[in-house]
Amino acid sequence: MSINQLTLNQIKGLALKREFFIYYIFLTVMLLFTITLHDSGFFSLTNFMNIVRQTAPVTIMAIGLTFALAVGHIDLSIGAVVALSALVGAILLQHVGIPLAVVGALSVGLIVGLINGLLIERLQVSSLLITLGTMGVITGVARQITNLESVPIIDQTFTALFGAGELFGVPSLLIWTVVVAAIAYIVLTKLSFGRHLLAVGGSPKAALAMGIKVTRIRLYALVISSLAAALAGLLYAGRLHGARYTLGEADLLTVIAAVAIGGTSLFGGRACIIGAILGSWLMGMINNGLILSGFSTNEQMIARGVILVIAVAIGVKELKNG
Amino acid sequence: MSSTKKNSKQSILKSANRYFLHVLCSLCFYSFALSAQDSQTIDWSKAANASDIALSSEQIKTIKNKHLTAALAWHGASPWINAVSRGAEDEFKKLGIKVIAQTDAQYDPAKQVADLENISTLEPDLVLSLSIDGISTKLSYQKILAVGARLVLLSNPIPGFKHNQDYVGIVTDDMFGMGEAAAELVAQASNNAGKVGLIFHDANYFITNNRDQAFRKALARYSNIKVISEKGFVKEHETSNIAAAMLLQHPEIDTLYVSWDAAAEGVIETLRSIGRKDIKVITHDLGVNNLLDMAMNGNVYGTISDRPYDIGKTMARIAAGAEIGIQAPEFTLVPFDSVTHENIAPIWQKAFKAPLPKLLDLALKQ
Repeated sequence: MSINQLTLNQIKGLALKREFFIYYIFLTVMLLFTITLHDSGFFSLTNFMNIVRQTAPVTIMAIGLTFALAVGHIDLSIGAVVALSALVGAILLQHVGIPLAVVGALSVGLIVGLINGLLIERLQVSSLLITLGTMGVITGVARQITNLESVPIIDQTFTALFGAGELFGVPSLLIWTVVVAAIAYIVLTKLSFGRHLLAVGGSPKAALAMGIKVTRIRLYALVISSLAAALAGLLYAGRLHGARYTLGEADLLTVIAAVAIGGTSLFGGRACIIGAILGSWLMGMINNGLILSGFSTNEQMIARGVILVIAVAIGVKELKNG
Repeated sequence: MSSTKKNSKQSILKSANRYFLHVLCSLCFYSFALSAQDSQTIDWSKAANASDIALSSEQIKTIKNKHLTAALAWHGASPWINAVSRGAEDEFKKLGIKVIAQTDAQYDPAKQVADLENISTLEPDLVLSLSIDGISTKLSYQKILAVGARLVLLSNPIPGFKHNQDYVGIVTDDMFGMGEAAAELVAQASNNAGKVGLIFHDANYFITNNRDQAFRKALARYSNIKVISEKGFVKEHETSNIAAAMLLQHPEIDTLYVSWDAAAEGVIETLRSIGRKDIKVITHDLGVNNLLDMAMNGNVYGTISDRPYDIGKTMARIAAGAEIGIQAPEFTLVPFDSVTHENIAPIWQKAFKAPLPKLLDLALKQ
């Protein structure tokens, strides 16, 4: 069908699709800050790089969580995985080289994802409860292994690779975001695994009837979610030149909000990688814009809440209409 | 017609009532706020120094014969709190006092209320504690007092509690001295002519508020040092964004003050990311990451460190002394130290009574 043949209603319907909502809200907020903060350096490459750099770990976590949500699971342990993987990576770096330290840190994600998945599937208990429990265990372990001390990292190759480094002028944190996003996008939209994820999230019974291994798909989704959180832990460790048990603890709600605003359903069956990325950038942009605007901390909290409520309300309204 | 008049009269009366109620509530709230402010007006000149608190060998013997028990009810957990606990435990051990409970409220007043209630069932003789929120935990402290315990507080007073009646004493940092010392470090770092960015703790918290305020006041004495921008934070993780935004708007800033060490870590990360090696950072407390940066001549120029081990030791001594009738002053101040690249190792050992972390030791030897 050519564009000429589209009726006004069809164009309207297309423009109001849930997936596009994040683009409108992102552009609106950006436009709003660009106009109100025209003399504050908001609309500058330096500032946008600041936002991308600051939100890189949250973006990676959001991409990972999208997979868990796609199959209808929630993963509350991702914040704790960030801390533990960063600590394990930082401790290992004092004894072994970068490759082994990275493998060790990512193993935290792999192991936690497997434990989460196996417990949820074998016990048939809600992912909310299981990951709430594992979150507590991981947080306790993270506090225990370092006795609450932070672990510094002095390996400059590591900090360049996962933190403040650049490749041809592009920050390494942006490169990580793009690479992870590209892989996740291909997996979710081009591979049969992605279609299986959405089928399982949409209707597990129908997916089972179609011959999809529902349990295995859900397990993989939780492993991906945890692995992404472990990578986010490495990015934090690289950025901060060290790790501490508090890393990631404030990110969980930001990540969930970013993914939900980005168009992924919290109940499975619909996932949007680009939306998750834009959602986390939107959260970063709101923070950044409100700080630049000179609001007091309390006013920033109020404004952030109002913007989020408006964004979510518009999304939900559209969803009901749709 | 008359009924319409009646209705409008009633509605006017209702509005007047509502208005009166609002005014009354506002007045109550205002007077409460004023009384709260009064309770914060403390005569610091009467505070004692930690070195003045001592026990003779005869007094120690008497305390030992009493076979006392103690509990530590902390607000959270951190290497700093561990050092306070270690100081208290070592002192209690010397005095033959057994520590029967130690709690970590995880910065949650509700958890601290539960912790205090659990401790009161153990009926300890002495309780050392830092109250997260004096108003919500007050009743639980009263329960502890009701079972005969003596209370020594760390830093935060509890509204309505009276010295020598509800608590033995309050041991705290010399917050005003620390704020002034931080201003001195800023002057030193900027050769008395700096452009300062101030990243302060924007929450109602006794220690940080007093420290930040003392810093501002002391900095105002340096005529060639200007505060270019001030931004507040509530949680530590926010400082990275704040520093980036502040420097975007004011790239001329050459010195940054951050309320405490862990909050300064995000600021250092931002400075590294944007390649501003020229900006110097001054903060409070000791943390390995920032000390490592200081040791390697990074952005951290200096920090003001209190002495957590001595805080714990002094609290324990005051509590034990009260058992044999020694009246402690309402406030006891524990001294602090200015830390720069040159004295990291000795100050660490003085503050924590623990060896320097291996990596930090290595960095200092390079």
